[in-house]
Amino acid sequence: MHPKKLNAEQIEKLYAFTRQHYVEYYDLQTELVDHLANAIEAQWEQNSKRSFEEALQIEFKKFGVFGFMEVVEKRQAALQKKYHKLVWNELKNFFRWPKIIGTLATIGIVFYALKLFQQDVVIVQMAFVVLVVSFFVGIFWLSRKNKKNRQKTGKKWLLKEIIFGYGSITGLMNLPIQVALNVKGENYSDWALLFFSFFIIFMALGEYVVLVLIPSKAETFLKETYPEYNFVN
Amino acid sequence: MKNSQLYKGSLTTIVMKLLEENGRMYGYEITQKVKEITQGELKITEGALYPALHKLEADGVLEVEVENVDNRLRKYYKLTEKGTTETVNRLAELEDFIRNMQTLVQPKITN
Repeated sequence: MHPKKLNAEQIEKLYAFTRQHYVEYYDLQTELVDHLANAIEAQWEQNSKRSFEEALQIEFKKFGVFGFMEVVEKRQAALQKKYHKLVWNELKNFFRWPKIIGTLATIGIVFYALKLFQQDVVIVQMAFVVLVVSFFVGIFWLSRKNKKNRQKTGKKWLLKEIIFGYGSITGLMNLPIQVALNVKGENYSDWALLFFSFFIIFMALGEYVVLVLIPSKAETFLKETYPEYNFVN
Repeated sequence: MKNSQLYKGSLTTIVMKLLEENGRMYGYEITQKVKEITQGELKITEGALYPALHKLEADGVLEVEVENVDNRLRKYYKLTEKGTTETVNRLAELEDFIRNMQTLVQPKITN
């Protein structure tokens, strides 16, 4: 006799079950569904009369009182770490040959501009304000695009959610706001100006990486992380 | 003894060792294999295994493959090149630890 296997309808039920238990992301749902399915089939090998529902409850209990919650949380932490690594790697590229020439040149231009305009504090403040405003506009625009896309496919992928519409960098935006508020129309030393220039360019590059570069390569990163991304979308 | 704190720190090493021996494995398979080897003495809980796997994956120690098996998608884990080297190191570390513990736990017979 063939061992009893779950049918497609039961697999769908398992997906629904994970959703009911607060697993929003398709990538994680898929892994848990396969786990539960294997475990239920193993139970059937011992006792083929046990109902699907009953076997499922037995398996779910093994995850403990918090259910899938810990698995979801840890998965988020792991992928956030991965995302930060991606951002950092892209950012580092701007400080490597040959891109570093452009980076340093831009820092130089900003330095002279600041030196020239440092009396007009509004202009300096504007540079920081533009940085902050463009960041929030960009984030808003990205998350809207992602929302539309998700409505089309009906699936949520954790890494994708992190890449589009992401907030962990948002806190960093407080820095330029503080600088803009505290900058005064006076003569700063060249070192301070150089530091400002570096800071502005570093922030700008960070924004570019988070808002443009990584989203534009998102498909590649997603396929790397999720081999299943190709055949379900 | 089953789910003792002592085992917790070694979970990732155990997983890496299993993958080194078996090539690629999926989550459920790993829990069963551990149970089988230790004859039920050591049970890897589901709530601990997946976080450990995801962390190793994010660290670049493991990579994943996905296949369609029995109406569903199955995610396999295997060691990356970095993971293979890392496994050797971790095992050596664990062996050292065990040796040290033995000397601590067993009173030395002094001459």
